[in-house]
Formats: sequence, structure tokens, C-alpha cells
Amino acid sequence: MHELSIAQNVIDSVLSEAKKNDAKKVLVIEVSIGELMQLDKDAFVYSLSLLRRGPMLGAAKLEVKIEKAAFSCRKCSRSWSMDETLKQLQEVEKGLLIRESDGTELPLHFLPQLYPAFVHCPDCGSSDILLKDGQSVQITKLVVE
Amino acid sequence: MIAVKDKASYVFEAVRKKLNHIGDVILVGSGKGGVGKSMIASAIAITLSKQGHRTGLLDIDVHGPSIPNYLGLSPPLRSTEKGLEPKRLGRLGTMSIAFFAGDNPVPIRGVEKGDLIAHLMALTNWGELDYLVVDLPPGMGDEVLCAFSLFSTRCRLLLVTTPSKHASSVVSLMCKLAGRERIPLAGVVLNMSYMQSGRRRIYPLGRADRVRLEKAVGAKIIAEIPLDPRISEGLFQVILKKNNEFARAIRDLTGKLAEV
Repeated sequence: MHELSIAQNVIDSVLSEAKKNDAKKVLVIEVSIGELMQLDKDAFVYSLSLLRRGPMLGAAKLEVKIEKAAFSCRKCSRSWSMDETLKQLQEVEKGLLIRESDGTELPLHFLPQLYPAFVHCPDCGSSDILLKDGQSVQITKLVVE
Repeated sequence: MIAVKDKASYVFEAVRKKLNHIGDVILVGSGKGGVGKSMIASAIAITLSKQGHRTGLLDIDVHGPSIPNYLGLSPPLRSTEKGLEPKRLGRLGTMSIAFFAGDNPVPIRGVEKGDLIAHLMALTNWGELDYLVVDLPPGMGDEVLCAFSLFSTRCRLLLVTTPSKHASSVVSLMCKLAGRERIPLAGVVLNMSYMQSGRRRIYPLGRADRVRLEKAVGAKIIAEIPLDPRISEGLFQVILKKNNEFARAIRDLTGKLAEV
């Protein structure tokens, strides 16, 4: 469900940008989705396709990529990927899971910036960690005519 | 190719859309911790909603959110096709970082805080609001600057202080910052101003010299709120419902805010 609302925000943003640039037609919309958000890529692409209508957007080619998450510890310099993080996320209290009509989602699905609340260094346990990439949805390319 | 957009512009666009459905944003801040910002923000929001105004309460204290405690609200949140549903208390809708993080500390740095607050605002289904009350954290860092930036088109800043000179000197800095950022002031609330004991007033934090304080802070005092020890005993909402000195002072303050 969150995929649909993000897709709507992306489309609104694309339309606003196209308008600012006096575009007649959007040709390409390229979006990257951060791995940490655990968005359903198929559902997101489907949502974008549903919302891609009208003379401005109807012919736009959609390209959606997953951006890998890369963590590192500021304290001991250990680096790790999403696989190790997923194990930690299984320990998130059930009472914090956000309810949707078809199940539940982790808080990071909505607010990935909160990762230090739930993720820690697998070696030293510090929460003072850095997430280099993979925490947001970004429009990386927009081609118009 | 005409543009490469970044994540901030996508979120700010979403926040702009939300703000089109919000009449007035009241930022409740101080710069100083422990002066009762969250209590005042909660009391104003509850009172506005009880008076029939469609009201939202946004807690942007990332490191020490206390609004859920005042209002007795807790996770989990619910998400619908319209976004994240604020927690309801009667007609008041409340959103806080605490609903996501629970008892986990949130040790995030710098610009990520602003990004977090912008996303929280953008993802919440506020619907149509007459008022959005925003509880700012202590300090004048990322969260406060983010709020000034997000809400600059339609916000007022309500400053909260106590009779303490230490508090008012920090509040005066906040007042200066607001001026530089062109954030209009709604006025100053002198919190914990006195205690009512029968007909007698006691001044546990000292008697404030209003003229000196207004001069020091650089803004007008629009309300004096009494100290009621029962608030710290968790009776906040009960006290607010009854006809007592505290509830009357809050109603008077809310009336002044709604007059504008």
C-alpha cells in the first residue's frame, strides 16, 4: 500500500518538474528505491504504471532500480550489507510493526532514516553507524521533450 | 534530459501538497529544555480540537519525544491508501517518532533528522486541518531549522519560557533566530508562572518581571500558565477537562491563538 502512495508522490514530483521546464511530454522516468525500505518492486512499478496517464506521462518509459544498502560502523569501521541487517530487523518488537490491510510492515519501510534505532554493528554493537546508500526513493533521471 | 531530481525535492513536493490542506501551523518552541513545551503544545492541541477545530499535533522531537506520554498514546500505527493514520484522541490526530521507534533510542545525526521529519510530515494522512500544532525539541539545530523551512509559508512560533532568567536568555536567542528566518511570532507563554493555593498565589520559580522578561525575550507575553503538580502525576487530561486555574489559562491562551 505504501508503494502506491510513494508512486503517487513520484508522479506528482515528475509532473511538477516537467511543468517547471515547459515540457510537452515525459519520455523517461528513472527511479531508484533504497533496499532498506524493503519496498515491493513489482507493486511499485505496477503503481507507477497505473498513475502514468494523460498526454504528459502516457508514453513515458519507466525504469526502476534497487539501490543496495551499504552500512559501516563509525566506531570500529566494520562494513556490512543488507543480509546481516535483515537478521537484526527480525528482532524488531512486534508492537512496532505498522499495520496494513494485508499484513504488517517494519517502521523502516516508511521511515528508513530511523535505521540507527534498529540496526547496530554486528561486531561491536554500536548504533553509531552510517548508511551510505539504499535508504530512499529518488528520481534519478527524467527525460522530456 | 532536463533534470536530475534528488530525494529532498520529492519529499518537499509532498509536504507542500499536505500544507495546502492545513490552515494554520503553530510551532511551539523555546530553545531551552524543561520549560514545558510539549505540555503546552498538547494542551493547546486538545483544547483547539475540543472547541471544534480540526487539529493535528506533530511531535518532531527525534531524541526525546514526550507527546505520546502526555496523551497516553502508543504504537502500533496503521497505514491506509491515504498514508499513515495519525493516532486519534477524540478528534485530535497525533503523529510522533515514538510511534515508530518505541523504546529504542534514535541516535541519528545532522541532515538525516531533517529528512526524517520531512518524510514524517509527508507520509501522514492529516486530511483537512484548521490547525497543526508542532512540538519543537530543545535547541536550535536540525529539527528546528527543518520545521522553519518546511512550514515557513504558513506558520507562527509560540515561545515558551519560565520565570527563570536562564530560560528567558535562551528563549531570546530563539526569538532572534525566528526573526532572521522570518518566522512570525505568536507570542510568549510564561509557563510555571505561579501556583494557586486557594486565594493565594505562590511563585515557586520566583516572580517574573513581565516588562524585563518581554524586553529580554523580545516578544509580548500572551499567557501565564500556572504550575499544577498533578500534571507530573499523569493527570494532564483530567485537569484539562475540569474548570480550574490551569484549564482556564490554557483556554484563554488557545482563544488568543485562534483569534488571529
